[in-house]
Amino acid sequence: MEVKLQVENEILDKIKHTFHSAEVSIPRKQRVEVKLRNDLIHPFLAYLKDTLGFKHLSHISTVDWLEEKEIELVYIVMNYDNLVEVIAKIRLDREKPEIPTLREFWPQVETYEREIHEMYGVNFLGHGNLTDFILEDWEGIPPMRRDFDTVKYAKETYFNRPGREDAQDVRTTITKKSGEEIPELAKVYSVRHLE
Amino acid sequence: MEVSYDKESRKIVQAIERFARKHSLWVLAYGTGCGAIEVPPTMTSRYDAERFGIRGAATPRQADVLLITGYLSVKTLKRVIRTYEQMQDPKYVIGFGSCTINGGMYWDSYNTIKLLDMYIPVDVYINGCMPRPEAVISGFIELQKVIAEGKAEGARKYKENLDWYRANQQKIIHNWNMPDYNW
Amino acid sequence: MREKETTIYLGPQHPGITGNMMVKLKVTGDTIVRAETHVGYLHRAFEKLMEARTWLQCFPIVCRICVPEPDPNEENLSRVIEEIEGREVPERAKYIRVLVLELSRLATYLLWMGGQSGSMGLYTMPQWTVGDRDYILDLFEQLTGGRVYHMYIWPGGVRRDIPEGFGDKVLKVMDYLEKRLKDYDDLLFNNALFYKRAKGVGVIDKNKAQEWGVVGAPLRGCGIKHDVRIDEPYEVYDKLNFIVPTYEGGDVWARAMVRRQEFEQSISIVRQVIENMPGGDFYNKIPNPLNWRVPPGDAYVKTESARGEFGYYAVSDGSLKPRRVHARGPAYVHGVSLLERILQGANIADVSFIMNSLGTCPPEIER
Repeated sequence: MEVKLQVENEILDKIKHTFHSAEVSIPRKQRVEVKLRNDLIHPFLAYLKDTLGFKHLSHISTVDWLEEKEIELVYIVMNYDNLVEVIAKIRLDREKPEIPTLREFWPQVETYEREIHEMYGVNFLGHGNLTDFILEDWEGIPPMRRDFDTVKYAKETYFNRPGREDAQDVRTTITKKSGEEIPELAKVYSVRHLE
Repeated sequence: MEVSYDKESRKIVQAIERFARKHSLWVLAYGTGCGAIEVPPTMTSRYDAERFGIRGAATPRQADVLLITGYLSVKTLKRVIRTYEQMQDPKYVIGFGSCTINGGMYWDSYNTIKLLDMYIPVDVYINGCMPRPEAVISGFIELQKVIAEGKAEGARKYKENLDWYRANQQKIIHNWNMPDYNW
Repeated sequence: MREKETTIYLGPQHPGITGNMMVKLKVTGDTIVRAETHVGYLHRAFEKLMEARTWLQCFPIVCRICVPEPDPNEENLSRVIEEIEGREVPERAKYIRVLVLELSRLATYLLWMGGQSGSMGLYTMPQWTVGDRDYILDLFEQLTGGRVYHMYIWPGGVRRDIPEGFGDKVLKVMDYLEKRLKDYDDLLFNNALFYKRAKGVGVIDKNKAQEWGVVGAPLRGCGIKHDVRIDEPYEVYDKLNFIVPTYEGGDVWARAMVRRQEFEQSISIVRQVIENMPGGDFYNKIPNPLNWRVPPGDAYVKTESARGEFGYYAVSDGSLKPRRVHARGPAYVHGVSLLERILQGANIADVSFIMNSLGTCPPEIER
C-alpha cells in the first residue's frame, strides 16, 4: 500500500532548503526526524515555530549515550494545522553539556529544562532558575546518568528488610527457609540466568 | 495532667479509653503515594468505612491515624515525620502496601525508603500492591484489635527511642531544619 | 490601607490538593499574586528503574505512572515497542484495547466529577460517582484480575481474551451509567450553583493555549478542536463514530461541560466496540520475554488519556533492556507552568477547584 507523505515531504524540503547541514528523514506518517548541529537548534526551532507554524511543544527528552560520551536532546514539536510532528535531535558533549535556553519560545520549557538539568546535569545558559525541581538536597552525580548505579546507592543509603537486602530471587529465600529445592524447570525463568 | 488512680479504677478507665479510641479512628487526609487511589472507594458509598468509625480528618492535629499510602520518597519522608510529630496522642500509623514493608517493586530506587518502621513506628501493615478496600478495612479492624489489647504503643515507643529514630531519619535527610519534638 | 503580602503553603498535606504536591502562594488579602508549584514528593525514579528492567518488566512500572488512569500508559508503551519493532497487532486485540481505554476514561471522569464537586463543597457527588466507578473497576477485575493496575495491554495485543458474557455485563454497566448521568446533570452540571461558581474561573487564553502546551479537555474548553483520537488515529478509532465536543470560554465550566459530553461519547464508543468486536486472535505472540531484544531505534507515540495527550518517547539500543523510556503526561504542563499562570489573580478557594479542573496528577509530573 502506498502511503502518501505529501505534507511530510513538503516540510522535509523546506527544512533542507533552509538548513543545509540537517539530516532529515521521514520515519513514518506524521513524523519528520531532523538531526542537527548543536548551534542550529535555536534558529531551527524558531523557524519551525514562527514560519512553519509548529506551535505546540510536545516533549523534550534526553538520552544518555554513555559509550559515545554524548547526551542527546530530543525536541518534539507539533503543528496543529497539518498534524505533523518534527523530532529534532542534537548531541551535546557529555563532559560539559551546555546549550542556550529556549525559555522565550515556550513558557513550559522552563519545567523541562529544570528537570533535565537536575536529572542529567545539562546546563541551560540563560535559564536563570535552574533550582531543585524534583529532588531535594541531592548530592553527587545527576541520578539519571547511566553511570549512576541506583542499586548500589539504594543499598548503601536505605535500610532493607532482612531477606530483601541482596535483592535476590525471592525463591532462593524460600528455599533457604523451607529446605525445598527450586525445580530445574523453574530455574530457567530468571533474568539473572541470562546475564 | 496526670491523675493518679488506684489499680482497679485505672483498669476501668483504660478499658473505656480504649473502647472510645478504637471506635473513632480519624484518618489524616494525606495521600503520600499511589495507594491514595483506593482510599476514596474505602470511604465512600460502596465500602463505607464510616461504619467502623473511620473517617477523614483534614489536619494533623485532629487526626488519630496516619495512613502511609505507599512508598515514601525522601522528600515526602521529611513531611511525613513533621506531620507525625504534629499529631497528638493517641496516634497510630498504618503502613499501606508492599512498598512500605520492604520497598516492594521500588527495591532498587534511589529515592524511596525501603523500611518504614526504621523512621516512624508502625502499628499495622497492610500488604498488597495495592491493597483492595476490603484489605484496608480489615487492616483498620486489626488496628482496632491492637488498640483494644493496649498494644498500639507506637507513639510511646517513638518518644522513648527518639534518638534512635532521629539518627535513622537524619541519615537520609541531609538538610534537617525542623523543630524539636516536644510532647 | 495597603494590604500586606503573605505566603501560604497549600499542601503537600492538604485535602484539596489533588495528590501529593505543594503550591506556594503569595497572597494579598484573598487574591493570589504569585503561585509556585513544588513537585517531587512522588518521585520514584521510574525512568531509571526501567533502564534496569527487561522490556516486559516495564509494564508493571508504567501503569503506576498515572494512578487514576493506568491504561493509557500501558497502551503507550505497547505501541511504542510495536512501532520500533514493527509488530502487527490482531484486529480483535485492537478492539479490546479501545474497550479498556474507554472504560478507563469513564472511570477517570467519574473520579474527576467527584473531585471537582468535592472541591466546591458538594460532597454528595463523590459518594455517588466513586461508588459508580466501582462498577467499572469490577469489570476490570473480571477482565484483567486487577482493580486499579491491570498490566493488561501487552506488546502484540492483550494479555488474555475477554471472558464469556463480558460484553453483556459491560453493556449493562453502560446502561446504568447513562441513566445515572441524568442524576449527575441534576446535581452538578445543570446546577446553577456550579455554573455561578465555575463560570469565569481559571480562564485559559484561547490565543495562547496551543503555545502554552495545553492539551485535552482544557484545550477543547477553549474552543480548539484537537484530540489525538482524531488527529492521529491509533488502534481502531478511525473506524468508530464519535464527535469531539468543544466549548468556548476556557474556564472551569467549559472544561467540565467538555468532559460531560465526552462521557456520553465514551459510552457510545464502548457500545460500538462491543457490537463490532471481531473474532480471531487476541495476541501476536512475542518471543521469550526474558530474551527478547527489541531492534535499535526510537519512536514517539501519543494517546488521548482522560486528561489529554499522553506521549511516550522510547529509545532501544538493541539490548534486553530499554535505553530510555520517557513519559510525558498532560499534567507535566498543566500542573506546573500552566497552573502557576492561571492561578494569578484567583482566590485561595479556587486553587483546588482549578487544579481539579485541569486534572493535575502529580505522579506523572515527577514519575
